[in-house]
Amino acid sequence: MDRVEKLAEQIFEDYKDYGVDRREIVEKLKKLLIEFRVPENEALRTIRNYIIREYGAPATIRREKITKIEEIKEPNKWVTVKAKVIQLWESSSPSIAQVGLIGDETGYIRFLVWTKAKKPPVEEGKSYIFRNVVVDDFGGVLRLNVTKISEIEEIDEDIKVKPPEDVSEEVEVVGALVAIQQNSGLIQRCSVEGCNRVIKMGKCPEHGKTKPKDDLRIKGVLDDGYRTYEVIINEEGVKALTGIDLEKAKKIAEETLDRNAVLIELKKMLLGKYLRVVGTATPRYLIARHVEFFKPDIRKEIEKVRALLEEV
Amino acid sequence: MTTVFLKREVARRVFAKELMSSTYTIRDESEKSPLYVLTPLGLKCNRVFIIGVLTEKEERGEDGNIYRIRVIDQTGSFIGYVGKYQPEAYEALEDIDTLTLVALTAKVRVFEGETGKFVTLRPETISIADPESRDYWVMETAVQSLERIREMKKGESETAKLAMEVYNTDLEEYKRVVKEAVERVMEDYGEFDVEEEMLEEEEEEEELELNEDEDLSFEEEEIDLTELLKD
Repeated sequence: MDRVEKLAEQIFEDYKDYGVDRREIVEKLKKLLIEFRVPENEALRTIRNYIIREYGAPATIRREKITKIEEIKEPNKWVTVKAKVIQLWESSSPSIAQVGLIGDETGYIRFLVWTKAKKPPVEEGKSYIFRNVVVDDFGGVLRLNVTKISEIEEIDEDIKVKPPEDVSEEVEVVGALVAIQQNSGLIQRCSVEGCNRVIKMGKCPEHGKTKPKDDLRIKGVLDDGYRTYEVIINEEGVKALTGIDLEKAKKIAEETLDRNAVLIELKKMLLGKYLRVVGTATPRYLIARHVEFFKPDIRKEIEKVRALLEEV
Repeated sequence: MTTVFLKREVARRVFAKELMSSTYTIRDESEKSPLYVLTPLGLKCNRVFIIGVLTEKEERGEDGNIYRIRVIDQTGSFIGYVGKYQPEAYEALEDIDTLTLVALTAKVRVFEGETGKFVTLRPETISIADPESRDYWVMETAVQSLERIREMKKGESETAKLAMEVYNTDLEEYKRVVKEAVERVMEDYGEFDVEEEMLEEEEEEEELELNEDEDLSFEEEEIDLTELLKD
C-alpha cells in the first residue's frame, strides 16, 4: 500500500461511520500531496476539516489506536486495548489494587492496577478501554500496568473473547498441593468419539448413559501463599509422582472393591507436598505437562531471606 | 460467554507467633465476604498452610469425636480442632502419631473467651511432611513475613495502617523472630555459627514452656465446641 492509501485508510477508519467516501479521500489526498506538495500533516488537517464541514462529523474525534492483545509481544510499550475483564485475582500486595486477566477476540493478558493509580475498580465480565497502559515483563509473563496516567473507560460493547481452550501460556509454578478435588483419582469418561467428558452419577452431561472408559487424573489446588492455581494432572503425571498408573489404579479398585480407594491413596501420598509444575495456563486451569516433587535449594532461599532481612 | 470462576482463599504462610497473636477480625465490603483474621503484620487471612511438629493430639468432645492438636513451628505453637465433620483431616490424623512432622492446610477461626479472643485452626488436610519441605516452608514463610514487615514500615496500605492501630506492632521484634526461625534451619546447611546456635536453642525451650503456660489458661475456659460444627 502506498503512502497515500495508508493515510486515506487512517482517515477513513476514523470517519467511516459518518458516510465518507473512501475514493473521495484518496483523490483529495493525492491532489494535496502529489500535485500541491503540501506537508502530510497539513493535508490531513485539510481533509479532516473538510469532512467535519461536509459530513457533520464531530471536530474532536479521538484518534485511538487500539492494540489487539495478540499483538502485545514485548515489554516497555505503551498501548491502548479494548478488553473484557475475565477474572480478578486476589492482590498479593497492598501496592496493587487489582490484578487479573483481560481478554479480547485475539487473546488474553494479565493486568494490574496499581493502588497509586487511584482508579475506580473494574468488574469481572465487564468490558473497558484501557488507555495508555504500559507492558512489563514479570518473570517471563507480560502484563499490562494501569498507572496514574492511564485511563479506564467502561464501554457497553460486550467484547467476545477468544474461547479459553484456544489460549495457552507456558508457566512454571511451585506450590503446595493444598486440596485434591473429589472428581479425581480413578474416573470415568464418556467413550463417544470426541467427547471425553467426565461421567458423573453414571451419566455423561452431553450423551447421557454411555459406555464409560476409565482414566486416572488429579484435579487439585496448588498454592504458593500468594495465589492459587487449579491444577490438572493427567495419568502420566500421576504415575511420575506416585508410581500409580491406570492399570495399577484399576487393580487397587478391584482389590478393595472401591474405586474411591485410589483417590484416598493419592491424597495420602500428595496432599501437603510441594510440587513443581510446568504446564499450560488457561484462564481457569493449569494443565500440567511435567510434574515432580519440588526439590528446594535451601541455600538459595536463605540468600533471599538474607537480602530481605537487610532491606527491612 | 459468561464464565464463572470460583475464587478460593489463598493458604497464607505465617509463623505461629504472628498468627496466634492475632485478635482482630475483619470482613471485606462485599456481602459474601468471609471473616478474616488481621495479624499484627497486616495480613488478612482465613486459610493457612503450615509445616510443623505435631506435639499433642487429645480426644475431646462428648464422644471423643474431636481431636485437639498442637503443632509447633520455629516461633511458637498453633492450636487446632479436628472433628469428624472434616472426615479427610480426621481420618488422616487418626494414623499420625505425635512428634511427627506434619503439613496442614487449615481454616483460621477466632474464638471469644472471657480473657479475650484467640485463634484456632480447623484443619482441612493433614499429612506427614519431610524435613526438606519443612525447611522450604520456613524460608518461604520468612520471605512472606519480611515482605509484610516491609509493607508495615511503609505504612501505606489500609491493612498495614489498621494493624498498626490495633496492635501497635513492634516490627523489630517480629524481624528478630523471623531471623531466629531462619537461623534454626540454617544450621543444617552449615550457614551458622554452631556455638551461638546452641545458646539460642536453650532460649527456645524456655520460650516454648512459656507458650504452653499461656495456652493452659485458654483451656481452663469453657469453649463451646458446637461452634466448631458451623462452617
